[in-house]
Amino acid sequence: MIEPVAPEDFQRVFATAAATVLGGAGYAGLFAWARLKNRRLWLVGAYMCYAASAAAMLLLTRAAHLNGAWQGVVVLMLVGYLLAPHGIWHLCVASHRLERNSRAPPGD
Amino acid sequence: MRTGIIDGANLNGGQQLAVKYFSVALVLFLVQMLFGLLAAIQFVRPDFLYNVLDFNVNRMVHIDAMVVWMLYGFVGAVYWLLEEESGTRVVGLAVGNLAFWVLTVAVAIVVVVYLWVQTGPGNDLTRWFVNEGREYLEAPRWADFGIVAVLGVFFYNVAATFSRGRWSGIAGVLTLDLVALAGLYCAGMFYLTNITADQYWWWWVIHLWVEATWEVLVGCIMAWGLMHVLGVRRRIVETWLYIEVALMFGSGILGLGHHYFWIGTPDYWFSIGGFFSALEPIPLVAMVVHSVYDAGVRKLRNGNHPALAWIIAHTFGNFLGAGVWGFMHTLPQINLYTHGTQWTASHGHLAFFGAYATINIAFFYIAMQTWRGNIWLGSGLAGEGWKWKGALALINLGVIGMTVALLIAGYEQSFIERAMEGSTWRGYFAGQMHPWFQQAMAWRLVFGVVTLAGALLLVWDLLTIGVGETRRAPQFAAEAG
Repeated sequence: MIEPVAPEDFQRVFATAAATVLGGAGYAGLFAWARLKNRRLWLVGAYMCYAASAAAMLLLTRAAHLNGAWQGVVVLMLVGYLLAPHGIWHLCVASHRLERNSRAPPGD
Repeated sequence: MRTGIIDGANLNGGQQLAVKYFSVALVLFLVQMLFGLLAAIQFVRPDFLYNVLDFNVNRMVHIDAMVVWMLYGFVGAVYWLLEEESGTRVVGLAVGNLAFWVLTVAVAIVVVVYLWVQTGPGNDLTRWFVNEGREYLEAPRWADFGIVAVLGVFFYNVAATFSRGRWSGIAGVLTLDLVALAGLYCAGMFYLTNITADQYWWWWVIHLWVEATWEVLVGCIMAWGLMHVLGVRRRIVETWLYIEVALMFGSGILGLGHHYFWIGTPDYWFSIGGFFSALEPIPLVAMVVHSVYDAGVRKLRNGNHPALAWIIAHTFGNFLGAGVWGFMHTLPQINLYTHGTQWTASHGHLAFFGAYATINIAFFYIAMQTWRGNIWLGSGLAGEGWKWKGALALINLGVIGMTVALLIAGYEQSFIERAMEGSTWRGYFAGQMHPWFQQAMAWRLVFGVVTLAGALLLVWDLLTIGVGETRRAPQFAAEAG
């Protein structure tokens, strides 16, 4: 079952939910940029964004009463946001390595 | 090949059919906005066109026109790429042309009947010939059969053409998706007296079309478009197409559960819907990595700036509209208050625009480029491309403005109508009469006008871009098959 959000927490829920996804995107974007340009400073920024996303998620957890099994969802989201950019990065590198090794024309 | 002028000889058979679909799509895009504006005016002035063209009709035509113009755009895009992708002529093109005219005449008849018969009894006769009565799927039953038949012809054209020519990763995913596209529509074609059971199947069409079959269709179209616009290699786009399909199906299909929260289905849908809805933004966030990687590696060099700009708008619009706006109100703990308010409309406006409208517009520019003889649409266009840039800016500004205005209205409704007044009839009117709601509706109208101005500029640009241009674009398309 669910425990609805208290009306005084509406704003907090909307803001923290948006901050969760935006923080996750900031983390993913900065992470990719840091790896692309090989700059550690951007990587620090990336993990700060992730920390902000995680903090927003924890605030959301409290405001939206994500108790019991719902906390499993929160943990999965935290892990997903952290690891998915790493996975996609490796896929990018691997698929573009194939491209470099291939002499076939575009679209082949 | 003649350059700089619109010439059908520049197109293959499938592309000639595609531009017919694109032309009707563009007309329906304008119809969508016109009826949206009428409905927006009625929010501000409820007596406007009262008993002449009522709000429920305007809203219905606004939404149905959106669904249909997007479908026309997707179908057109598939016919556009079919011959190049398969390496052979479209099989059964004459039947495909016939299906286009049948569908277009049917759409026109349905709209005229909507406007002609605005009120009346709900019985078998009206369900078959006037209005089926289900929100978003109002087309009468005869038209439902017509839609499935036309999609069947479309499937035949695609599957038979690939079978005679050559199959590819894009071809395989596309063909399988078309089976689902036609098949899922059937879930909305039967009527059950139990409203919960009826809504259960109805959502299969609404959610699974939008968040499964349409997404895959757009993935295929995008994959081909990226090869064409940026010269990305087939192996890359097809790898990513498979990854995208896997990620989307992983979270999107059971994300269906967020529509089952309040229709009378068992409690476990709270957990299923909440769980998969919470995971839905993760693929979108992960894709940011790919966008940054490609932008950094490829420098986005291309010969069709308007198309690429709309593809970039798609990336941001899809992320914000589906990801951020979706997640803000998708968990059942908050959705209890927000569902069915202007919150939903806010999310819907940005998500549909970002995920689908942008891709169709990008394809219109790809089509115009080839139709005029594969001309250069990169830097140095006449007038520095002010029309396409203006249209891009106005439409994006308009949609974002409407989204924010509706967000404010939805917030106020959730708070006053739902939380404070407990979803009562009195609460409904308290919410509608509140200054925040009324001001938000006025701003929505203003930004609706901005969007329409942008769309008119877009049409003007599509009709004139590249006139007299003699420079040729890079020949990615010829190598794409």
